[in-house]
Amino acid sequence: MLELRNVRCGYGNGEEILKSISLSVDKGEFVGIVGPNGCGKSTLVKAASGVLKSEGEIFIEDVNLKVLSTIQVAKKLAVVPQGFHTEFSFTVYEIISMGRTPYLGRFRAETSEDFFAIERAMKATDTFYLANRKINELSGGEKQRVIIAQAIAQEPKILILDEPTSHLDINYQLEIMELVKKLNIEGLIVIVVIHDLNLAAVYCERLVILKDGMILDDGPIDEVLTTENISKAFGVDVLVHRNPLTGKRYVTSIPRTSMSNNTNGAKVHLVCGSGTGVQIMHDLKERGCRVSAGVLNILDTDEDVAKKIGVEVVVEAPFSSISDEAFKSNLEMINQVDFVILTSIPIGEGNFKNLLAVERAIKMGKKVIILEEMPIVERDYAGGKALKLIERLYQQGAIRAKSSKDIFKMIGE
Amino acid sequence: MHKFKGKNINYILFLLILLGGIVILSASLGAVSIPITTTLKIIVSKVFGLKLTLDENILSIYETILFKVRFARVVLAVLVGIALSVAGVVYQGIFKNPMADPYIIGVSSGAALGATLAAIVFKGFGVLGFSLVPVLAFVGATITIFFVYNLARTGTKVPVATLLLAGVAIGALLHAITSFVMVLGGKDLHFIIFWLMGGFSSKNWDHVMVVLPFLAVGLPLVFYFSRDLNLLLLGEERAQQLGIEAEKIKKILIIVASLLAASAVAVSGIVGFVGLIVPHMVRLVTGPDHKILIPCSALFGASFVVFSDLLARTLMAPTEIPLGVITALFGAPFFIYLLKRSKRGLF
Repeated sequence: MLELRNVRCGYGNGEEILKSISLSVDKGEFVGIVGPNGCGKSTLVKAASGVLKSEGEIFIEDVNLKVLSTIQVAKKLAVVPQGFHTEFSFTVYEIISMGRTPYLGRFRAETSEDFFAIERAMKATDTFYLANRKINELSGGEKQRVIIAQAIAQEPKILILDEPTSHLDINYQLEIMELVKKLNIEGLIVIVVIHDLNLAAVYCERLVILKDGMILDDGPIDEVLTTENISKAFGVDVLVHRNPLTGKRYVTSIPRTSMSNNTNGAKVHLVCGSGTGVQIMHDLKERGCRVSAGVLNILDTDEDVAKKIGVEVVVEAPFSSISDEAFKSNLEMINQVDFVILTSIPIGEGNFKNLLAVERAIKMGKKVIILEEMPIVERDYAGGKALKLIERLYQQGAIRAKSSKDIFKMIGE
Repeated sequence: MHKFKGKNINYILFLLILLGGIVILSASLGAVSIPITTTLKIIVSKVFGLKLTLDENILSIYETILFKVRFARVVLAVLVGIALSVAGVVYQGIFKNPMADPYIIGVSSGAALGATLAAIVFKGFGVLGFSLVPVLAFVGATITIFFVYNLARTGTKVPVATLLLAGVAIGALLHAITSFVMVLGGKDLHFIIFWLMGGFSSKNWDHVMVVLPFLAVGLPLVFYFSRDLNLLLLGEERAQQLGIEAEKIKKILIIVASLLAASAVAVSGIVGFVGLIVPHMVRLVTGPDHKILIPCSALFGASFVVFSDLLARTLMAPTEIPLGVITALFGAPFFIYLLKRSKRGLF
């Protein structure tokens, strides 16, 4: 196990990068470390591996790092560095066998034990076929596997990887993470510094969030990977969903739109659904509008997002037609706004009442904007009724918008 | 793995034979040329204590030429070649930089100032029968290393980038002082200019004895750390993560390589390009593994310097071309070739 007690360190210019880090990782754990750039992740790796001197105490398998020699540390703890690079044309075999350095005497050649360890490392990382290739001629993914093999050849108890996937395409990212997971299952303690929160969510059981050289949160991934924590650590708004396929959490970022259009705090009601309102909902909120929406079925994508970003919603039970009650509440809400926006939602019998609500909005004297990103003909599932009604809406003064940009302009005026 | 071992032994055998051939050729040729077979016979007879069926008079003349003059010069060339090449290997490894050579951290400029002072300011002095030139050259070189090293040191670490810059800065300063002293030199200028261009003219066994101790200690040390040098090529941090006390070993190697270079400069003047191109050429064939790179560079460097010296004293005989001119005429075009050949990496 690896334990850090009040570890603090910096690079000798008086600035402390790590400010009292306490962290204990037990046998069998797979821990992800995330945090914004410059929060001290790589510094933590250097301190834990003894490359960077630190204050406080670090224990590797209950032995203080200070009393361990460089060789003893290398036998217990291996690091996969960030962005490994060498100009020298060592063969892959030579590079991997360097992992045996802590076990070799100065003049003792490799024994069969060393060769076995090298072979095991090459098998685990599928690098056998690269053995005679030159390290500086490999692709990023191949090189990364070779460096992991070098670390495995050290036969460590603890493996720390510093952003092992950051320069790889998605295929190699998964490959590397799968490999690391396999090693973890075989008994290795794995600590991985990682930028990709979704990869972390899939593979790590425990997550540590670093911020300004301190631990912001530490615990099981489901408890730590939350909107609030990510917002606190990275200063961005995100949505944390659950991947229906894997049951794991996943994070999507909400882009920051430019605030070029001033909307003077206009009140806007969205008639949307099935995800057609997600983007505009967010964009309007970003521009300072008071946004509401309805009627939306519970569990609908728009409903889910609206709840998460604080949009007031009139809801209906899942997979149900809009009831008179919900229709009435919707009208009440519409009555309080300046604008009503109808998105390019497919219309069927179930949500036809929403169209009627829009018609009533025009009668109430509200400005109605119809966003036609997709022609109504293609999304009329009410047997032509919807088409007819929309034409009537235009006749009564609804304005057609081709894109959300048009809408922001209209609201701005 | 075993296949590689065999290949390595072949490299070393080939280079040993090459060196042996060049040494005998070089010992035979000169103002008085000795038939190569005769040279061989004399060597064999000396080693095995055999009697030769040669004219006693001619034999004694040949023996005098060979043992009093030629061998001293050839052996010195061998030692200087080894010292410069091995120092080059070490510096290129530590600096992870293809431009690093034995003079990179100011050894040559320190030696040049020392030699210039000896020849111009302390003319006529001597130590234990030696001219002051090699003595002060060595002292100048070591003091410079000491200065550069401490200038680059920050706390307990010696960052290579700082070391390189400190070497360039101190080198420029010393060069200026050397030029100033030379201006004062007047008629002694001729000597010092030739010294700066390097060479082995009028060198004897005493000079051999100057370099030998440094090689006897330095070479095994460098070889002892050959695996560590491999790991240092991956960066100091990585080396340490793999169990090498990188900072300590780097310091030892810098000092050892500098002393090797300093001792070579003291007896040969400034022979350029050897430490730069020999490790390069050898690496192209053997790859970067120092376990084979170091012995091969030593052998090839020795052959290169002996052969260059042979050309230096025979091409325009009886006028001797400075050795540094020959090595630069070889070295610079080769270096340009390397640059053009592979812009991506020189290793």
